[in-house]
Amino acid sequence: MPDTPLLELRGITKRFPGVLANDHVDLELVKGEVHALLGENGAGKSTLMNILYGLYHPDEGEIRLNGKPVRIGSPRDAIDLGIGMVHQHFMLIPVMTVAENIVLAVEPTSGPFLDLHAAEKRVQELSTQFGLAVRPDARVASISVGMQQRAEILKALYRGAEILILDEPTAVLTPQEAKELFAIIRSLQAEGKSIIFITHKLNEVLDIADRITVLRQGKQVDTVPREGATPEGLARLMVGRDVVLRVEKPEAQPGDVLLDVDNLEVRDERDLEAVRGVSFDVKAGEIVGIAGVDGNGQTELIDALTGLRRPSGGRISVGGKDVTTAGARESLDLGVGHIPEDRQVRGLVLDFTLAENLALHDFRKKPDSRWGCLFPKRIVQRAVRLLKEFDVRGGGPQTRAASLSGGNQQKVVVAREVSRDPRVLIAAQPTRGLDVGAIEFVHRRLVTERDEGRAILLVSFELEEILSLSDRILVLYEGRIVGEYPPGVSEEELGIAMTGGRRQAA
Amino acid sequence: MSSQAWTAYATEGVRKLTEPRTIAKLGIAWGILAFWLALPPWTVRGIGAPLAAGVLAVACGAAVIPRGERKLGWWAIGLGIAGTLGAAWLQGKDASTLDSILTAGVLASTLRFATPLAFAAMGGIFSERSGVVNIGLEGMMLTGAFFGIWGSVWSGSWLVGLLMAMLFGGLLALIHAFFSIHLRADQIVSGFAVNFLALGLTGYLYSSIYPGGIHADVSRVPQVGLGFLDGIPGIGDFLDGVFGRLNLLVWVMFAVVILAYVVLFKTPIGLRIRSVGEHPRAADTVGISVYGVRYAAVVTSGVLAALGGAFLSIGFVGSFAENMTSGRGYIALAAVIFGKWRPGWAFAACLLFGFGFALAIPLQREADVSENLVSAFPYLLTLVALVGLIGRSIPPAAIGRPYVKQ
Repeated sequence: MPDTPLLELRGITKRFPGVLANDHVDLELVKGEVHALLGENGAGKSTLMNILYGLYHPDEGEIRLNGKPVRIGSPRDAIDLGIGMVHQHFMLIPVMTVAENIVLAVEPTSGPFLDLHAAEKRVQELSTQFGLAVRPDARVASISVGMQQRAEILKALYRGAEILILDEPTAVLTPQEAKELFAIIRSLQAEGKSIIFITHKLNEVLDIADRITVLRQGKQVDTVPREGATPEGLARLMVGRDVVLRVEKPEAQPGDVLLDVDNLEVRDERDLEAVRGVSFDVKAGEIVGIAGVDGNGQTELIDALTGLRRPSGGRISVGGKDVTTAGARESLDLGVGHIPEDRQVRGLVLDFTLAENLALHDFRKKPDSRWGCLFPKRIVQRAVRLLKEFDVRGGGPQTRAASLSGGNQQKVVVAREVSRDPRVLIAAQPTRGLDVGAIEFVHRRLVTERDEGRAILLVSFELEEILSLSDRILVLYEGRIVGEYPPGVSEEELGIAMTGGRRQAA
Repeated sequence: MSSQAWTAYATEGVRKLTEPRTIAKLGIAWGILAFWLALPPWTVRGIGAPLAAGVLAVACGAAVIPRGERKLGWWAIGLGIAGTLGAAWLQGKDASTLDSILTAGVLASTLRFATPLAFAAMGGIFSERSGVVNIGLEGMMLTGAFFGIWGSVWSGSWLVGLLMAMLFGGLLALIHAFFSIHLRADQIVSGFAVNFLALGLTGYLYSSIYPGGIHADVSRVPQVGLGFLDGIPGIGDFLDGVFGRLNLLVWVMFAVVILAYVVLFKTPIGLRIRSVGEHPRAADTVGISVYGVRYAAVVTSGVLAALGGAFLSIGFVGSFAENMTSGRGYIALAAVIFGKWRPGWAFAACLLFGFGFALAIPLQREADVSENLVSAFPYLLTLVALVGLIGRSIPPAAIGRPYVKQ
């Protein structure tokens, strides 16, 4: 009976100090459907779902389940109503086992005692029933992110969830794991579960959703069926203007070799080999993409290239100069720019102002300082210019970096790195967690920088990004480069190489 | 049980016995034995037996190091050598001196010294496992000590004394809980405030209620006489010396340690307490009341610490003195950390500290070493053990961090 929706949200409004996070949002969920909630970061998707899960309380509006109004005051209420949520940041306790996490708060007991055997058995049964492979007795800290997510889903199912909210479930997954997740979602759907799938990735929506609700700036823009939806149309709904999804770039004009890496070896914190003899070069005016699943030596490679970690063997040279043992400052001075993997930890000092953040590299030099004294005015002047040029919104030079949105924070990092006119630019996951508008900006900027003759090394876990930006693609697997591919290579072929199936293209 | 099951059981047992880890532990035991052989009650004179034990220890260690059990293996070797050397050194000492230092009485007094520490440490484990640092254990103990004796004098019954101690210890813990959970104050600062509050309050009440000290006959927690131990052949004397005349609260303490372990690790309540201390948001999202669990855990810690304090006043000495806990709460806290927030290990740490206290008296008498120097010994031992044998102690992940509901 598709005419009575299982769940209805009507006119949900939620205000936070200074922000209208949800503005009279309506949403309806039919039994057995996968309903995507699409929107940019900060569009109010998570707020809406936290209201549904009882973590926030709406200022206005009502929630109806099977046509009856319900009040959801806490997660407990939501669980009792058959609503389960898989949070973007998993709510799992790393030191406990999968089974302990799943049964927490509804533990099977024998007498006054916890019956862990019964718990593990029950988890195993559920795991088989829904095709969610987990090891019930494994500690959460020791299992893969994909398995952690399956444990989270089982946690909701164990509590009898009929409605499952998945908050950006693919953000932390490798492409392979994402595929497995989609298979799981389909099997849950076949078992009659209804799913709300939060995302800002267009291709996922078109893959998995039956209907799509788009939020923009807290307002519900539209709800459309998947049939007839196009990436361009959805992007327009999300951003409110036309977005160029494909990166348009002229043919690369490679020049001299600017970054030359020869047989590089790097060890990780535990002193294990992470990069095992990697050799490649990047020429002026080209983007070289390094594809690979997280944890195959990317972090260590970037650290070594930027002087943050000393290699245990091999050679790195920038513009012909040996920088193998250079520290971070030397490496900056030699013209290596670095857009780090995690902008909030390594890219910015969140408690500093934007002006201070923009001056982090050059504060020691003229014009920022002289005779050991800073000249804050000059720092601010430069910040004003850069913030304008890079279209940073949501604050001025004196705004704390922490108060900007992720996209604008990333623009600040890009502004700082690019404005120093580096010869080599190392971009690690430059668009992680950004929405389409900001991704478009960063991608365009990278291509512009390439055309100005910089050598760009792009490290990313997003295949799509690698494929659309790179002029050459290297695949890193277990610390080795297992293949070099032209940009026209298929996703499947790269995927195989990334997981260790060594099929060399050329 | 069928014979098949027995076979499986036996195979499993043999497999466990031949594991490198078991062998390494055995080596460590041999190493300790090498030293112990030269001490009472054995007091072996002659280096043969300790040397044999030491060689066995080294052999066990050497056997397991190539099989991957490096750390424990090196400990077995080290202890084997150190134990043998120690035993050789002890050969020169007069056996009767050793006998008078290491008596059953010392072990009994080890238990007496360990009891208040263990009560407070178990309390500390509950509080810290739920994510609330409890520096205030000291003040809660002191409160327990004072109100224990106050209740006992006022009613003439030690039972009322204990109840009063628990009540006021719990109330003081409630203050700490309110500040650190609801008001999200810094838990260290709040804990210290509680300590100073207790110190001032008990000092003031003591001098105003009992201006000339406590003269009345105080009803004390009784001793439990186990006369039958004497009758056990061979070690009866020794057992009787250690366990024959212990205070009732010492036995209660044993029960509390076991109960703490069972509750924390074998019941749903324990799982919830630990989840709140590790990842409060995760606990919240499955419907556990983070505040509720933390309040309960902190109040429990106050009640237990107060019992430890009451043992000092109406169990051990039968009087009260200003600041009579003199830092025992902090030592209990150290035992919690040393014991990796686990009841069994923390209890072992309390025994070690208690042994240090107990040893200080005869050592000072016999060897003419400054008491302060001798009582520093167990702490030194703690440091060494903490660095080497136990490894890094990992606290509950959310410890000290107030939880903010969304």
